[in-house]
Amino acid sequence: MEFKELPPVKEQLMKCVRCGKCRSVCPVFAEIGNETVAPRGHVFMVQMLRDGTVAPEQKVYDHLTNCLMCETCSVNCPSGIDIHELNAAARSYIYEHNPSLAKDLIFDTMWTNPAYLKNAVRMIWGAQVSGAQSLGRKLGLTKLLPGDMPKAEKILTDVPFHSARRQIPAVSEALSEKKYTVGYFLGCATDLLNPEVAKATVDVLTRNGCDVIIPPDMKCCGLPHMANGKMKTAQQMAIENLKAFHKYDLDYIVTDCASCSSAVGAKNMELLLGETEHRAEAEAFAAKVMDLTYFLIHILDVRPPANDQAPRVRITYHDPCHLANAQGIKDEPRELLRRIPGVELVEMKDANRCCGGSGTFSITHYDLSMQILDKKMDNIEAADADLIATCCPSCMMQLRHGVSRRGLQSSLVHPVQILSQAYKQAEKAKVKTAV
Amino acid sequence: MDKSAIQKELLTMFGKDRILSDELDLMYYSYDSSFLTKLENTSPYAVVFPRSTEEVQKIMQFAYANDVNIVPRGAGTGETGGCVAVEGGIVLDLSQWKEIVEIDQKNMQVVVRPGVIHADLNNELAPYNLFFPPDPGSSLMCTVGGMVANNASGLRAVKYGTTEQYVLGLEVVTPQGDIMITGGMKSRAIKNVSGLNLTKLMVGSEGVLGVITKIRLRCYPKPRARGIAMAVFDRLDDAPATVLDVYQAGILPSGIEILDGSAIKAVNEFKPHIKLPDAEAILLFEVDGNPPSVEFEGDVIKEMAGKRARLVEWSTDPKRMAQLWEGRSVTAAAASRVRPDGSRIFAGEDISVPLSRVADVLRAVRELGQKYGIQVVNYGHIGDGNVHTAPVINPEDPAEVEKVLQLVDEIHLLAIEMEGTTTGEHGVGAVRRRYAPLEHGIAHEYMLKTKQVFDPKGIMNPGKLI
Repeated sequence: MEFKELPPVKEQLMKCVRCGKCRSVCPVFAEIGNETVAPRGHVFMVQMLRDGTVAPEQKVYDHLTNCLMCETCSVNCPSGIDIHELNAAARSYIYEHNPSLAKDLIFDTMWTNPAYLKNAVRMIWGAQVSGAQSLGRKLGLTKLLPGDMPKAEKILTDVPFHSARRQIPAVSEALSEKKYTVGYFLGCATDLLNPEVAKATVDVLTRNGCDVIIPPDMKCCGLPHMANGKMKTAQQMAIENLKAFHKYDLDYIVTDCASCSSAVGAKNMELLLGETEHRAEAEAFAAKVMDLTYFLIHILDVRPPANDQAPRVRITYHDPCHLANAQGIKDEPRELLRRIPGVELVEMKDANRCCGGSGTFSITHYDLSMQILDKKMDNIEAADADLIATCCPSCMMQLRHGVSRRGLQSSLVHPVQILSQAYKQAEKAKVKTAV
Repeated sequence: MDKSAIQKELLTMFGKDRILSDELDLMYYSYDSSFLTKLENTSPYAVVFPRSTEEVQKIMQFAYANDVNIVPRGAGTGETGGCVAVEGGIVLDLSQWKEIVEIDQKNMQVVVRPGVIHADLNNELAPYNLFFPPDPGSSLMCTVGGMVANNASGLRAVKYGTTEQYVLGLEVVTPQGDIMITGGMKSRAIKNVSGLNLTKLMVGSEGVLGVITKIRLRCYPKPRARGIAMAVFDRLDDAPATVLDVYQAGILPSGIEILDGSAIKAVNEFKPHIKLPDAEAILLFEVDGNPPSVEFEGDVIKEMAGKRARLVEWSTDPKRMAQLWEGRSVTAAAASRVRPDGSRIFAGEDISVPLSRVADVLRAVRELGQKYGIQVVNYGHIGDGNVHTAPVINPEDPAEVEKVLQLVDEIHLLAIEMEGTTTGEHGVGAVRRRYAPLEHGIAHEYMLKTKQVFDPKGIMNPGKLI
């Protein structure tokens, strides 16, 4: 659909009264402090683009990408404007006028094909285990990488060799009385960078009466594409995901990745496919989509077994923007952690403030991303926890980098990993008691 | 001096990290929250981010020597185009200059730089059991410098008055580059009648006389208790009548706010959890002080409001109070929600009339809205007669724009006719300047002469206020 006809551009753009409330909540504005990065400034610039006052040029795109797409402004906008959607739409519009071969290769070829993406991650793994990455750094070769990559390559550490898909069967049957058939939307980052999270997800779901299906034809959720001006590709992948999941009779579609659940949830599917022939199918699909922690609390009402031998652990929880802002899910991950024996949940200050990761933002805007991360890390350190929990692989990657930069001992976990561990510990304790 | 020469000079003076000169960057400084700047965009020649009085002095000396306009700017949350370079010039973005210079607990004063955010200031004062009482709806984003320049107030002006009552002294850089201290060079006195009161002259001068670089504010002790009464009315006229009853019962609440039916709808759309009842009008009374006096005043308000209201809710629960007060404070921007294909506009939004005429003005504005076929959301500080009228239109429909500009003009004239003023707290800026001769008569000429004394070349924020 043409840029000017997209619903947010057509219906919401005029609603901005430039009250400036967004200035008070935007993490990027907090660092830079001038109007060119204020969310209302982005709305203004989208209007200038729509009206033809400015041309769809790369420098306008660069201005608009001074935004984490964290949705903090959208959720706080008194006029109800989805500022992040306007920004994504404008990026795509500009990109169409300023295509880049490299970006096409990354987002259209590699990132649309899980096998290619896996191979790319394997190459990084190879560079890490062979010492090529650290050798490259020592020789200064990483400095030859484009943009902020020379600095940002440090974020990707300890990439696993085997993806989750390689380790988990396409169908895992319920281990207890069957309640539901669940499609598992296994996001790229969980699959390739955090397979342990995926294994824990399947473990917990199957223990609690779910048949878990990972459709082999599933594609990326499309969020990285939207953030990088590739809305059309995101649309295509959304259609392919509809097909991939349509093959199964699913009660729910669950994901442990905040970005994925927001990208394939109702709001974003409406943006991508609301004006297409796929609308009805997209609505039916999105109606089944649920964040894992929400599903575990409200649908399965999981209660891990009591275990008075459970090790005591202090956990602090970081709210991913795409869960807290995009979906309003804040209580469920905390409630899940509270239900686990031995867990003491300690709140950090501003848990709902962006960590600065935001998918590819930390790669394209490394220094700014680190400034935002530093504020988060100050709050994490003050919480003095053993573990840092969050529900987004991008946040995990960013916070892991923050932990490493500060030389801290804390590890990053998804709450489901602690839950899965709790089941196993309880089993061991039971065996021990029986012996 | 042409634009590129000005940019070059500023670049030499401040370095590239402290100025904006790229055309695209400058466009972001062509607006504030006014409807005027939605219709017309004027970019400045450059934007500078000063961080010291000496830097401001340097810019002023440069501007004065070269006849370049200077436009001071805070957070750009104003509704009058006051911080936009409508006649060209250099914008001084002071919002990054956020230093709290001193909290003088013993003398109950605070000294700040102009970029400090209002809410941040009160957060910093809280541990000292102090607060700066003026309470604008834009507290989270507006700067104290902007509040002083516009003599802003807000929801608690009924009891606590406006910013001017709290400004004890200022540091101002004049257009010629003099650094002037008002309120006494060394004074920390609270009462001070020495000399002509230039502090009062500068407060609300909207940047047409000089640049405010430091502000000495009086603070008040933080009240120990608060309570909020919500009174729900089926007849709009009952609301102002109830306000008068409460005053006549000897009660001075810290705030009295009104929301009409469409404002209620807007708040419920934006924040459904607040659950305001549907009604013709809602009054919110806030009382503060010591716990027994709060309870006593709450009882009197309940009794007075109960005479006419369908429902009265009294709360001292912090969570519920925060919800109710938030409901009012977000109305300004949330008003757009009453029309899916429309937006509220900030024009004709700040008239202030005598208490005895509030009911008349609310009725008259409603009739004007009907005359032009435009929905108008009414809310505001009924306790001091400051009514915010929010026309909701499709701002991209030229016919609606034309109509609304006529409506707004009639609202302004109505306020003057009703022995009121075109603006109670938002200021004049570029949008209400044309009413100045009508409102002030010969006094307007003396205002122009005063400006001439401070700014003989007319470089300070031209096109604004007078």
